[in-house]
Parts: sequence; C-alpha cells; structure tokens
Amino acid sequence: MKKMLALLLALTMAFALVACGGNNSSNTGNNSGNNTANDQTGDDSTAAGGEVYYLNFKPEQDAQWQELAQLYTEETGVPVTVVTAASGEYETYLMSEMGKSNPPTLFQVNGPVGLANWKDYCYDLSDSAVYGELTSDEYALKDGDAVLGIAYVIESYGIIVNKTLLAEAGYSVEDIQSFEDLKKVAEDITARKDELGFAAFTSAGMDGSSDWRFKTHLANLPIYFEYQDKGISSTDAIEGTYLDNYKAIWDLYINNSTCSPTELAGKTGDDSKNEFLSGEAVFFQNGSWEYANLVGEGKYTDEDLAMIPIYIGAGDEANQGLCTGTENYWCVNNSASEENIQATLDFLYWCVTSETGTQAMGGGEGAMPSGEPGMSFVIPFKSAIESPNLFVKQDAEMLAAGKTPVSWNFTTMPSEEWKNGVGSALTAYAAGTGDWDGVVSAFVDGWASEYALANG
Amino acid sequence: MQRSLKRWWPVFLLPTFAAFCVGFVYPFLQGLYLSFCKFITIDNPTWNGLANYVYAFTDASFRQSFLFSTAFTIVSTLAINVAAFAIALALTRAIKGTNLFRTVFFMPNLIGGIVLGYIWQILLNCVLSLLEKPLLSLDATYGFWGLIILMCWQQIGYMMIIYIAGLQSIPSDYLEAARIDGATSWQTLWRIKIPNVMPSITICTFLTLTNGFKLFDQNLALTAGEPAHASEGLALNIYYTFYARSGPQWKGYGQAKAVLFCLLVIAISLIQLRATRSKEVQQ
Amino acid sequence: MSKTNKIANTLLTAVLTVLSLAWVYPVVMILLNSLKKESAITTSSAFQLPDGSSFAGLANYADAIGSKGFLSAFGYTLLITVTSVALILIFCSMCAWFITRVNTWWSKACYYLFIFSMVVPFQMLMFTLSATADKIGTSLTLGNLADALGFTVSKSTAEISLLPVNTPYGICIIYLGFGAGLAVFMFCGFMKSIPLEIEEAAMIDGCGPLRTFFLVVMPILKPTLISVGILETMWVWNDYLLPYLVLDRTKGYTTISILIQYFRGSYGTVEMGPMMACIILTVLPIIVVYLLCQRHIIKGVVAGAVKG
Repeated sequence: MKKMLALLLALTMAFALVACGGNNSSNTGNNSGNNTANDQTGDDSTAAGGEVYYLNFKPEQDAQWQELAQLYTEETGVPVTVVTAASGEYETYLMSEMGKSNPPTLFQVNGPVGLANWKDYCYDLSDSAVYGELTSDEYALKDGDAVLGIAYVIESYGIIVNKTLLAEAGYSVEDIQSFEDLKKVAEDITARKDELGFAAFTSAGMDGSSDWRFKTHLANLPIYFEYQDKGISSTDAIEGTYLDNYKAIWDLYINNSTCSPTELAGKTGDDSKNEFLSGEAVFFQNGSWEYANLVGEGKYTDEDLAMIPIYIGAGDEANQGLCTGTENYWCVNNSASEENIQATLDFLYWCVTSETGTQAMGGGEGAMPSGEPGMSFVIPFKSAIESPNLFVKQDAEMLAAGKTPVSWNFTTMPSEEWKNGVGSALTAYAAGTGDWDGVVSAFVDGWASEYALANG
Repeated sequence: MQRSLKRWWPVFLLPTFAAFCVGFVYPFLQGLYLSFCKFITIDNPTWNGLANYVYAFTDASFRQSFLFSTAFTIVSTLAINVAAFAIALALTRAIKGTNLFRTVFFMPNLIGGIVLGYIWQILLNCVLSLLEKPLLSLDATYGFWGLIILMCWQQIGYMMIIYIAGLQSIPSDYLEAARIDGATSWQTLWRIKIPNVMPSITICTFLTLTNGFKLFDQNLALTAGEPAHASEGLALNIYYTFYARSGPQWKGYGQAKAVLFCLLVIAISLIQLRATRSKEVQQ
Repeated sequence: MSKTNKIANTLLTAVLTVLSLAWVYPVVMILLNSLKKESAITTSSAFQLPDGSSFAGLANYADAIGSKGFLSAFGYTLLITVTSVALILIFCSMCAWFITRVNTWWSKACYYLFIFSMVVPFQMLMFTLSATADKIGTSLTLGNLADALGFTVSKSTAEISLLPVNTPYGICIIYLGFGAGLAVFMFCGFMKSIPLEIEEAAMIDGCGPLRTFFLVVMPILKPTLISVGILETMWVWNDYLLPYLVLDRTKGYTTISILIQYFRGSYGTVEMGPMMACIILTVLPIIVVYLLCQRHIIKGVVAGAVKG
C-alpha cells in the first residue's frame, strides 16, 4: 500500500511539474511550444487551413519566436509551432523531423553549400509576397531562376574594439586605418603589456565554441580578395593568392594575445569573450550578434565599443568596410501540404511587414509586446526598422561613407570538413606542432578535394 | 497447471509481446530490409541490393570509427575490470567504512551519459588548459583518454559491486583451508579467489565489452567526434551517417552500417560468453 | 602478522579515502562552479572556489528553472520513468511466468527472441523505431478510427491519438517493448527457482491464473521486482537518444538529457552557469534517492548481474 502511495505521489508530482511548465510556456525555454495557442484555436484553423511549423536555428532567439508565433495565432487563428534545435544539432534534428508525418514547413539553410543538401525540399519562392519585400536580390538564395532561400538576418563582423582601453594605451580608433596601423598598435600594446595590464587580442578559442571565427570568418578575407581579383563568386579550386596576408593577421592575433600561442588551443570562445568583458584585451574579433553579450548591466555601454574592419593588408584598405552578409536563409518545405505552404508564406510576410513582426525581429530592449527584448536582427526587408545595435549602425555609417563591405564568401566554402581541416592546421601552427605549409595545404589542396567530393 | 494456463496467453503473454513487436521486432525486421534499400522516409524505399554494404565497407570514416571503438573497448574493459576487481578485493577486507566507500564508488552509475559527458568535459578541459595542452575537441588522443577516464569513473563502481558479491559468495571454508595449508595471499588470490569469481568476471567482461562498443551518449557529449571524426565511435558514426547528411543514399548507408554493427555486437557477445563459460569452475 | 595486516589496512583505507574523494570531486566542482557568475567561469579556472567577486548566489539556478523550462523537462522525465517502469514490471513478470510455466515451442521462441533483443544495439532500430512511433502516434487517431467506422467527430477530438507513443504519456509502450528483453530474462531466471508446488496448490484451491499470479507469485518475486525496477529506472531516466528521436517536440516535450543540450547558442557560446546549475539540479535528486535506498539499489544490481 505504501508503495502504491509513493507511486501515485511520483505521478502526481510529474503531472504537476509538467502542468506548471506548460502554464508559462510563452516564456519557458526552447521548445515548450505554444500548444496552448494551438488548443484554443484548433477548431478555427480548419477555416484558415494550414499550419506553420518553424524549425528555428538560433537558440538565443527562441523566446521571441515563441512569443511571435503566439501573437500571430491570436491574430489570425493559424497555429504556429516553433521548435528550436540545440546548437550543433540543427542538421541532424532537421533530418529526423523531415522523416516524420508533420515535418517542419519552414527551416533554414546557411548558404549555397547548405542549400545543396536541402534543395530537393525547397519550395520556389519567386512568386511569393515575402520575396517581393526583399530590399535586394543579393539576399535571395537562387538555384537557376528558382528562389529557394530568403535571407532573414544580415550580420556584420570585424574587430570589436574596447575604446576605453585603447585610449589608455594612447590610441584612438581613428589611428587604425590599415593592417600596418593595426600591427603597430597591437605590437606596441604587447610591448607595454605589463605596464598597461591588458593585451591586444583576446585568446583564440579554437574548439567548436569559436573556431568559426578563424577557420570561417577570418578565412573569408583571403577568399574575398581572391574572388575580387578574378571577378568570380565561387570556385572549384582556390589559389590562395592572399594566404600570406592570412598568415600575417593570424600571426598578429596569436603573438599579441592574452596568452602565449602554445596555450591558445586550451581556450574556448567563452574564455575569449570573458577576457574581453573583464578588460584583459582591447581587440576581439567577432560580429554584431555578440552585441547583446557585451552591452548591458555590469558590462559595457555603446561609448566603450566600436567595430573596425579586419585589415589584412590587401585590396583598398582605405575603403574597406566591415564583413557584412548572411548565412541564415529561410526555406519553405515543398513537401508540406499546399495549405501549410500558404500558411507559412503568410506567416513570413506578416513577420517582415507587420508592425509587431518587424519590431520583434529588428527591435532591441522592450521591443516585444511582452516587454522582453526583441531579436535585434537587421532584416533585409523594406519595412525593416532601424536597429539599436551599435555595430549595425557602424556598418551603415561606413556604407554611407562610401566604404565597400566585404561580402560573406565563406558560404561557398566546399564543406564543413574543409573548415575543420583549416581550423586544425591553424591550431597546430599556433601551438608550434605544425607549420604554415600545413595551413596552405589544408586551404588550397583541401578545397579542391572537398569540392570534388561535394560536387562529385 | 500448464494446460489451464496456456489458454491465458492473451492476458499474460500478449501485452508484452505486442509492445515488443512495436518496439523491437517490427523495427528490427524493417531495419534489416531497409539496409538493402535507398530511402529517405520509410514509405518510399527502393531496392538497392548490396550497394549500401559495399559503401559501408569502403567508407574510411566507418573504418576509423571501428578502430576507435575497438581500441576504446579493449582499453576500457581492461582498465575497468582490473580496477574494479582491485577495489572489490580491498573492500572485502575487514576495514572501516567499506559501506561508505561502496556507496561513493557506485554513485556515478546513476548519472546519465549526457550529463556525465558535460561534467567531464568541463573538468578535463580545465586540466588540459592548465597544462597548456589542446582542449578535448582539438586532439583525438586526449578525447580518447578522456572517454576512458569517464567510463572508468562511471563503471568501476558497478563492476565492483558485482565482484564484491562474487568474492563474498566464496565459501569461507575454501579460504580457511587455504590458510591452514599455508598459502600466501597471492596464492589465495590466484588459486582460490579468481577461479571462484569466474562467473562474475564473465558478467563484468561481457558488460564492459558491450558497453564499450555501444558507447554513445558519453561520446556525443564529451567530444561529439571532434576533431574531424577522429574520436567517433561506431554508434556515433552511424548516428551521424543517418542524421548529419541529407540525400537519399545516406539513410541506406547508415542502416547497413547499423546491421554490421549489430552483427558485430552479437558475435562478440557469443564468443565472449563461450570463451569465459568454459573457464568457469564446475561446482 | 596481525600488525602488518593492521598497517596494510590503514594504508588501504587512506588510499580508498583519496580515491573516493576523487570520485566525488567532479560533482562538487560543478556545484561550486554553478555558484559563480557567468563571466567568472573560464576554462582554466574551473578548479578555483567562487570568491566574493565571482559568487553569483543562486542566480544560475533561477535561470535554469525559470527560463529554460527545467521543471517541465523534469516532470516529463519523471512521468516517462514511472509509467515505463511500472508497465515493464507488471507485464514482463506476467510474461515471464507464462514463459517458464508453459512449455511450448512458441513460448520458447518468445523467450529466445527476448534474449536476442538484449544484445541488439539501439542504432539498429533507431531510424525505423522513431518512424514507426511517429506513424502510430500521428495516424492512429480518433478521427481516423471514426472515418473507418463511418461517422464524423469534431476536429479537436479527431486529433486525439489512440496510442500516443510519441508523447511522454504513451512512450512507455515503446519502453515496454524495447526494455522487455532484460526484464523477461531476469524474471525467468528467478522464476525457474520457485517451486511449482506452491502455485499448483493455489490453483487447486480454486485460484485462477490471474489471482495465483498476483497473490502467490508476485510476493515471492519481490526481490527480483526491485532489482529489475532499479535497473530499468536507471536506464529510462538517463536515456537520451530514444526520447530525442521519438518524442514529438512540436508539442514541447523534452527530457532532462535533451534539455542539457540547449545551453549552447548558435554561435557556440555556452551559458555555462545555468548549464551547470541544470546539471546539479539533475544530479541532486538522483543522489538523494540513491542515498535513501542504496541498500536496495546495490542488492538489485548484484541480483541482476548474477542472474544475467
């Protein structure tokens, strides 16, 4: 009898917890879903027909998507389910969901290479209203004439500068206009490291938490300049004409960092961020998405920070802007039912045109109707609102000043394997266990072989 | 009684068997069939003959993961069993606090593989970072040994419990007789204790062997196969083949690999059981 | 002799003490770090104790419980574990009794099938099982049943699943099927040693098979029930891949093992503080339960292994 009682108690407790988790589903985690909204409107939805199931990529924006979905459901009666995949699990989760009876109607790919994997599932968006809202055709992902993906967020990256520390070292952001300037400043800071109490660059973080900053984002620059020289936008074999510049900037990073080059492999991206936050380093290569992590209570204000282009000593440095582009494209699942596809297109259109939608996607503090912060995205759509993100504003200023942004060509990198190869070679080079030839080989030969594999 | 009971099969046998069909028999047979097919979902398989198996045998990453799993299994089986047996021997001596020690050593078994993986990732990365060595996910050698340490930490307690039970069940007159005959403790260990705990050794070796090959959660959470699939065991390799690649061919490859994996685990279980059973003391 | 023995024992105790401290340390380390501020948690300082400037109190715990949905994941995990283990214990012991007492070719075949299933790795069924569960869960609905029988129901009732195996409420059926092997095997091993006479006496006294089983066999079976229950609980509670692939996450169903993965952002940054808080919240109840009934647990493991 006592056993039965214990069992009953456990069950009641389980149900109570589940129920209490469900009650505040609007702001509970990742995928507490908005099933409450579904239930309420379940009967009306037959009229509208169709449902939306969005498999979201960015865990940090999950709460906003959940809220937005619920608002849309309240407004139109169309059920919208948002599920967020855990980081690093997006592709595997999308794959397992695609095999189910109710697959996602809306998912995302990261660019041409990601598209190659999924294009059989992508609905042609060329006649859709949301495509018409794009500010530039550049932000559409095309396969021939078909528009298979639409960018929904534009991001910039460069070198984030702690202006306060830079001033302490006796410089200002204006002093850095080229790779030579950057090198001079960084090496001067390193020379006076003990006296100043801080280093030039944050440590690297070569594990999965931030290796993309170097194997992908930094590697974009030599690729960009090579593409510019040749006037191409993708290639089956990279020559590596600017690899010496890549080496120069990488050397600068690792030799002027908070720790010695051999220790770099023992640091994570979080370490790097924390060093920047605690004022141990002036420069931190990262992007506009990092804004929310750097500014706020107990952190920095807009006054302290700036983002400068990554100069590698190539091209026209006086007119070089930030690296701006996207690797987040919305795709609509063509295997979904017609009503679901239509419902998804309507939802997307609402997100990028309605007051609520654009506020939620573009706004910062308090932009959500619930008072929570918005997603702070820069969205490439006509009704986009001005972003509160400092780095984004800087990007716009540079653009207005006639500087040319560096486009994101890393979306044409042949595969993840290629990036990993370059990443490992960079790590080995920094640690002294490998030489620069290893990086060159991973970069050039790896490109050719991976391209052949991927497009074989 | 047998006859009257036999009519009751729908009550006694059917519920479990029906669930067993849904949860095992049907998926198993379907998986077997699909390993010869090309498919994206289970609704549209097309016959593909042995192509999937041919691919599985030529796939370098599968071979690599096989080697990784084999090495891992051998090292972890040895390490866990030797350590567990040693601790069990120590704990069967008349020392204070045996219960407390037993409790502590067994505790990690109750923690799930994913959680364990994250705990050890934090701990090992800290050690590596202080030693100025690359992190777990950057160096497959550290990843390998990290996994070994993790599995030892988790499983030694479990195996220890089994060994303790085995040691305690040795009839005390055997040990008494050995003592009277003047056997050294070393001789007692090899001549009396080990032969008499052979059943326990069989079980523990069997458990650690299959656990080693089936390793998944810990592998996923600790290293996720990084760097570049170099610390990826068989189970994880199959999972990635299924879910990390899109395209109609991959599911079939994954299923074929899974069948091979399954055969391997079955073969090991059979060989191992036979080999150690024959060494058991006839009582 | 006895003096050297004493020294040896003292030495041994010392070694074991050090070892057991090492055994507890990882969990303690996570506990200490979960009390630190986010910015104070770095890779190389994990061994440092939190101090005045880095101490964050319970903020990480509030975050883990508040915004990450820890409680609902905990509730679902508890629900799944309790229902699955209860089903396994009741049905598998009944099944095992039948198999040992009824000696026909098909009961033997069942037995060997069950044993076979113990060896098969989950990867073999991973894809097909999740697809099957999805099919059963989404297509065996009241609506489809009503269609087949020729009448209509309202849409909200039509969506009710008859066998919701892809929800925490029905996934226990999958666990019963997949976990049956070990349970049946262990029950059979024990049942063979129960003398037939007791049951036969009960049957002759007019008890039907059901009453005989529940009133006579079940009480004798109690130790085995406990050990099977413990082994299956350890498995189901900690299982990751099966619920990850099977549960319908569009309805918001998660388990703790799945939730732990959500502390990583899309750009690779990990919210270490809340993640460690979540780990501790996961581990603590397990340790409490373990300390409360460790005698049973350890006995259960031994019995399971010896029978196996």
